[in-house]
Amino acid sequence: MFALRQWWSRYALRASLLTLALMSAWGIHQLNAAPIYELYRWVTLPLQPGPSRSEVLEGSSIQELRQKVIELEIQNRTLRETVAAAPTATPKGVPAAVIGRSAGDWWQQLVLSRGSNDGINIGDIVAGPGGLVGRIIAVSSSSSRVLLISDSTSRVGARVSRSRATGYVRGQAGQQVIMEFFDKMPEVEVGDTIVTSAYSQLFPEGMAIGRVVELDLSKSPAPEVTLELSAPLNILEWVEVIPFVPPQTAPFAPETPAETLDLPETETP
Amino acid sequence: MTLASPTSRFGMARYRWMNIGVIVGSVLLCLLMLPARLPGMELLGVTPSWLLVWIVTWSLKRSPWEGAIAGFTLGLLQDAMTSHYPTHTLGFMLVGFLTARIQKQRFIQEDFVSVALIVFGMVVLAQTSMACQVTLHKLLESQSLYPALTDIWKQHQRIVLSSAILSSLWAPILYYPLNRWWTYFERKTAPPGN
Repeated sequence: MFALRQWWSRYALRASLLTLALMSAWGIHQLNAAPIYELYRWVTLPLQPGPSRSEVLEGSSIQELRQKVIELEIQNRTLRETVAAAPTATPKGVPAAVIGRSAGDWWQQLVLSRGSNDGINIGDIVAGPGGLVGRIIAVSSSSSRVLLISDSTSRVGARVSRSRATGYVRGQAGQQVIMEFFDKMPEVEVGDTIVTSAYSQLFPEGMAIGRVVELDLSKSPAPEVTLELSAPLNILEWVEVIPFVPPQTAPFAPETPAETLDLPETETP
Repeated sequence: MTLASPTSRFGMARYRWMNIGVIVGSVLLCLLMLPARLPGMELLGVTPSWLLVWIVTWSLKRSPWEGAIAGFTLGLLQDAMTSHYPTHTLGFMLVGFLTARIQKQRFIQEDFVSVALIVFGMVVLAQTSMACQVTLHKLLESQSLYPALTDIWKQHQRIVLSSAILSSLWAPILYYPLNRWWTYFERKTAPPGN
């Protein structure tokens, strides 16, 4: 007892500081570092690209293309209405500046300048100029984190837009990603565009992912191709966060390979 | 020997608080540097491992257990900023422990070059522990999302080389001021007569 009291009188300050340090580290761990990312956002506020710059970057040709897309969407909607299909409403996205990158070398992530205050939720889709970028995996009040599709744990259900051959895309920590097919003999060529497939539970259908640059169709167990991502992930400055509600599971296809492979897409816990 | 006047005791407390401030402030600075990509601090998409440099600086003049505890705490913090698996705590604890052991044996002099060398070796160790965890996950979990083993170790090679070079080159920027402060702090708070 005496020894214990002697120890305490000697190390009380040290022990309590140590406990405090461990407790606060654990607290930050439980909060997914939300306070640190908030502070980071505040510190980098003067360095963030301003809104004027994003307007400058949007060239007039892009504006023209957008007009065309809107025109085509309206046409598409009217056509769908005439064939009595459910009209697809395009949800409104939130523009967000990219203020940081992954805090560890084994991950491919982005830090965005918008958070739950702007209506961003975990699971929202992130698109950039060129197409799909990733999905939101952590949110604090005014910043959020994106798992890029180039992360090696990321899986996206995808199809060849020309032939509709389906498979999934997995990242390999760079601008090039791998697509594996479910079919033994997929119809795919160099130059084909790859988009997200309708089977995907985590991404909306028809978003551009990339272009095929290399074929390896004799690969076992599944044929695979290499894609060049259409969104330039390493120089992104602005992205758009699109809210996404997963579609109701279709009763006819709960056990397709696409679905089972798509489900555990998020980071490992 | 009769120097323990109220003023010097007050001075000691002030230095202690300043030390806590320096510790918390420098760790916070390292954490804020992690997501940033400043020019000259990126090589093949990899940045210096600031928290590892901090742990090496901390452990050089402390006991192995202090080093391991610091490694665990900072490992938790970096896990919070990335993802909970693979964890940084194991590698960082090992780094803290071993760095303190090296210094005990007095094999290495205290200067920038040897600190850079220690950091280089410790980055290799910490990143290898990450790669081992990823490999274990791949081998034990049937639903593992990680790529094939050859890809994991190719990634490990790329990360280790860039991170070790960058971290050891940037290590003095953290080591020098912190080491200066701790030397000064020890001299000021040492019991009189020593």
